[in-house]
Amino acid sequence: MNKIILLTKSHFKKNRGSSVGILLLMVIASLLISMSLLIITDAYPTARKESDRLNAGDGYLRVTTNSGSFDDDGIRTLMGDDVSEYCVYRCLNYVACALPFGDGDMSVNVMVGDRDAFGKTIGRTEIVTEDISVKSDYIYLPYQFSTSGGYSIGDTFSFDLNGGRYVLTVRGFTTTPYHGCNNTGSFELVVDDATYERIYERDHEVASCVTIYYKLREGVTQSKFAIRVNNDVIVMDPMAVITGNLSIENTISGRTFMSLILVVSFLTITAIVAFVIVLMLSNSISIFIRENMKTIGALKAIGYTSSDIRRSVIAQFLILSVIGSLTGIIVSFISMPFIGKFIVAQMGIPYTVSFNAIPVIVTVGSMLIFTFLIAELAVIKIRKIEPIIALRNGLESHNFKRNSLPLSKSPFSLDMSLGLKTMFFNMKQNIITFLIMGVIVFICILGLLMYENFNRNPKLGMLAFEVTGGVVAFDNDTKEEAREYLEDREDATNIRQIITLDMTYNGEDSLCVYIVDDTAKLNNQDVCYQGRLPQYDNEIAVSGVFARDYSLNIGEEVSITYGDRSYPYLITGLIQTTNNNGREGVMSMDAAGRVIDLTNSPGYFWFDCEDKETSAAILEGCNERFGDHLLSKMNFYEIIDGSLMTFKSLAALMLVTIVIISAAVILLVLYLLIKALIYNKRRDYGIYKAIGYTSRDLVLQTAISFMPSILISTVLFSVISYFTVNPFMNIIMISFGLMKCSFDIPIPGVVITAAGMIVLSFIFALISSGRVRKIEAYEMITGE
Amino acid sequence: MTDIIKTSKLCKTFSNGGIQQHVLRNIDMTIRKGDFTIIMGASGAGKSTLLYSLSGMDKPTLGEISFDGEEITKKNSDQMAMFRRKNCGFVFQQTYLVDSMSVLDNVMAAGLLNDNDRNAVIKRSQDILKKVDIGEELWGKFPNQLSGGEAQRVGIARAFVNSPKIVFADEPTGALNSKTGKDVLDALTGFNRNGQTIVMVTHDMTSARRGNRILYVRDGEIAGELDLGTYVSGDRDRHQKLRDFLSGMGW
Repeated sequence: MNKIILLTKSHFKKNRGSSVGILLLMVIASLLISMSLLIITDAYPTARKESDRLNAGDGYLRVTTNSGSFDDDGIRTLMGDDVSEYCVYRCLNYVACALPFGDGDMSVNVMVGDRDAFGKTIGRTEIVTEDISVKSDYIYLPYQFSTSGGYSIGDTFSFDLNGGRYVLTVRGFTTTPYHGCNNTGSFELVVDDATYERIYERDHEVASCVTIYYKLREGVTQSKFAIRVNNDVIVMDPMAVITGNLSIENTISGRTFMSLILVVSFLTITAIVAFVIVLMLSNSISIFIRENMKTIGALKAIGYTSSDIRRSVIAQFLILSVIGSLTGIIVSFISMPFIGKFIVAQMGIPYTVSFNAIPVIVTVGSMLIFTFLIAELAVIKIRKIEPIIALRNGLESHNFKRNSLPLSKSPFSLDMSLGLKTMFFNMKQNIITFLIMGVIVFICILGLLMYENFNRNPKLGMLAFEVTGGVVAFDNDTKEEAREYLEDREDATNIRQIITLDMTYNGEDSLCVYIVDDTAKLNNQDVCYQGRLPQYDNEIAVSGVFARDYSLNIGEEVSITYGDRSYPYLITGLIQTTNNNGREGVMSMDAAGRVIDLTNSPGYFWFDCEDKETSAAILEGCNERFGDHLLSKMNFYEIIDGSLMTFKSLAALMLVTIVIISAAVILLVLYLLIKALIYNKRRDYGIYKAIGYTSRDLVLQTAISFMPSILISTVLFSVISYFTVNPFMNIIMISFGLMKCSFDIPIPGVVITAAGMIVLSFIFALISSGRVRKIEAYEMITGE
Repeated sequence: MTDIIKTSKLCKTFSNGGIQQHVLRNIDMTIRKGDFTIIMGASGAGKSTLLYSLSGMDKPTLGEISFDGEEITKKNSDQMAMFRRKNCGFVFQQTYLVDSMSVLDNVMAAGLLNDNDRNAVIKRSQDILKKVDIGEELWGKFPNQLSGGEAQRVGIARAFVNSPKIVFADEPTGALNSKTGKDVLDALTGFNRNGQTIVMVTHDMTSARRGNRILYVRDGEIAGELDLGTYVSGDRDRHQKLRDFLSGMGW
C-alpha cells in the first residue's frame, strides 16, 4: 500500500498542471450535478413542501355571493359526503384586479380579508416576516411581492379596488398555498381591521365571497367533485359567481410552471456540459498516461508491476474525483441560496437551502464510479507497455504515412502552414475539440434562444392564449355601446370579444374554453399548431395535451357540457397552451350558443394598441365614459412588465450561467489539450527554436493548429443549432403543453455568439500556448 | 581575415544543489570569417558549452560575445531566435529533424524563415539537398525513414539553406559510421571551400583535420591554438602537425 501512496504522490507532483485542470473540470461537473439535484430535490419541491406545511388540503372553492344560502348549513350540504374536512373563510373578492407589481401591474383575482385570514385551519396563511411597529393602515402582501415585486416592509402600497383608492403601509409578507403567486391567478391581501371595515362597507354587496378549503374523502376525484359543486352552487344561488375552484395539484403546477421550464432547461444544459466533461476527462487520462510513459517504463524497469502502477494512477484520479466532487458540492450549496432564490421567486415562497444528502451521495458516488471506469479503461494499456520501449520513446502514437500540407505546396503563410501541419499531427485532439465546441455552441444558442424569447423579446404567444394591448369588461347594459366606442377610437384596433368559461367533458374533466367572436381576429394564430381554429357553430379546437389524454383527434366529436346542456362538437384543430394544466379549448360565440346563452353576459373586449401609454389612455377613456358599467380593465403591457420580471431575470441568469460555464470549459479543454500537445511536441519546438523560430511564432502556430476545428465546428454547429434547437426545445416543452415550438433565434445573435466563441477560443489558445516560451532549444540538445 | 565572433571574459557556471561548476572560465577568443574552426577537448572540458554560447543558443553567465560587431549576450530569447535565423546554421550530433515533416519540409521550414518567396525557397532547398547528395526520391520521406548519414546530410542542408554567416556543428559525425561520417565531412568541407564560416566541435582527429584552425579547450579555458592551413586530402604533414599539437595538449 505504501508504494501505491508513494507513486500516487509522485504522479501529483509531476503533473500539477494537468491535475489542477482535471480537478477543475471535475469541480464544474460536480457543481452542475449537485446543483441540478439540489434544484430538483430541494428548491423545486418547495411549493409542495410549503403546501404540506400549511395544510393545503385537496383544493378550494371560492364563490362570490351575497346569498344567505351559503351559511354554515348550506356549506355543509354543499360539501356533502365527498369531503372529510373543510374550513370556511369569508372575505371580499375582486376578479381581474390590477395590483402594482415590479415595473408594472399584475392583473389577478384579489382576495381582501382581515386578520381572520391567519385563523384558517386548512389552506393556512402564515406571516413570513413583519414589523409589528406598524400599527394602523397596514397591509400584509403575499411573499412574491417581496421576492419579485420589489416591495419591502414599511413601503407604501397604493392600489385600486372597485374604484376605491387605498394607500397602506406594508407591515409584512405572507405565505399561503393557494393565493400567493400570480401564476395561480389569485392573491390574498390581509389588511388591518379598520381598513377592512372600510372596504367591506363600500364593496360587500359586489365582492362578498366565501372560500372553502377542503380535504376529499378517499376515492373522490377532484374533477368530479369540482363539476358537482359547480352545478350545486348555481342551484344554491343563480347569481353566485364561482371565482375559483382549484385543486392543490393544479395550484402547485401553476405555481411552479415557469420555474419548471427553467429547471428542465438547466438540467438539459447540465447534461450536455457533463457529457463534454466526460469526454474531456477520458481524453485527459489517456494523455496523462502517454505523458508519463517514460516514468511508467522506469517504474516497471525497477520492479513495479503493471498492477501497482495502474492502482496508483487510478488512486490519483479517484483522489482528484473526491476533492473535485466535494468542492463542487460545497460551491453548489454556497451558491444555491442565490440560484434557489431565482427559482422560487416566481413561486413566491420563502426558501432556505436545507442540507440534503441526496446531492452529496449521488454527486460523489457518480463522480467516483465514472472516474474509476474511465481510469480503469484508460490504464489497461499500461499492461502492454514494455519497459525498454517506454524508456526509449514512449509509445509512438503517430504513424507518419502522409506529409500533410507540404510546405512546397501550401498556399498559406509559414505560421499558418506550420500551424495546420500541427493540426494534422494532432488530429485526434482536434476531433475532440471539434465535438466539444459543437456541443458548447449548441448550449450557447439554447441560452440565446431562452434569453431572446423569455427576456429580450418575450414570446408571449407561446405562454398565453392570446396577445393583446388591453382588455375591458362591461356589463350587459352597455356592452354594445362600449364596443362601438372602442371601434370608433383610432388608437384601438382589432376589437374582439373573448370570454372564458369552465365547461366539462364527459362529466369527468373540466375544460377552460375561450369563446371568441371571430377566431380570425386572434393575433396568436400560432396557438393552433395542427388543423385550424374553429369557424362554425359546431366546431371546437382543444389543447394537444387534452386530446392526447383522451385519445381524441382532429375530425372526431367531443361532447362538451355547460350546466345541463351538452353538445357534440367537431374537433377542427389542436391548440398549444401552458395554462390550466393543458385543459383548454376554443370555440366561436355561435358554437358556445349550443350550450349557453351569452345574450345577457358581460362583454369582454380585447383590443390592440401601440404601447403601454396608449393602452392606459384607452382604459382611462372607457372609465370616464362608462364609469360603474366598466367591470374591469387590464393594461396588457403593464401586466407583462409585472409578471415577466422574475422570468426575465431567470432567463438572463441562465444565459450568464451558460456563458460562464462555456468559457470555463473552453478554457480548461484548450489548456489540457494544448499542454498535452506541447508536451508531445516539445522536441520539435526545441528544434524550431534552435533554427530560429521565436516563441511568438510557435505560440501562434500552436494556437492556429486548434483554430480550424474550432472555426469549422463553431460555424457548422451554429447552423445546425439554428435549425435543431427549436425541435430540441419542442421535446422539452411538450410536457408543458407547448406542442410545437417556434421560438425566435436572432441570426445576428447567433453570428455574435459564434464570433465571440471563436475569438475567445483563439485568445484562450494563445494564452494556453504561452507555455511554449518555457521550452529552450538548449534544453532539447542537452536532453534536460 | 576579419573576426566574425569575439568573446571577452566569457564565463559559464552551472549551479546544482548549491554546488557551482565553472564550465567556461574567462575565455577571450575570436572566430575568423571563412575559417573552418575546430573546437577540441576532452569530454566535459566545456567545448559544447562554448559552441552553444558562441551561437547564442545558451547564455553565458558572465562576459560578452560580439557577433559581427554586435553584442549579443544581452538579447532576450526571442531576439536570440531572430539572431540565429538571420546569422546561424546548426548541425547537431542527433540531427534533430522534425519527425512529422518530410525531408524537403524540414529544409524549407528553415528556408522560409528568412525568405517569403516560396518558389525561391523551394528551389534553394532542392538545390542544397542535391548538393549534399540527397536525391529527389528522398525529399518526400520522413526522417525516421532515412539512414543516419542521410538524416545528417539533411541536417546540413537545413543548416546551410539560408546561407548563414556562420554554421555551428556539434559532433556531426559522432553518431555515424566512418563512411557516412566522411560524406558529412566532405559536405562541410565543400561549403567551407566556398567561403562558409564553420565552427565544429569534435573529439575525433579525422574530423578535426578538416579544419584550418584548432582551438583546444581544457578545464573551461582555451589551452592552445593551432593554425593548420587549408585542408588538402592526404596531407600527411598536416596530420602529424595536429597529432603533435594534441599530444602537447595532453590529448
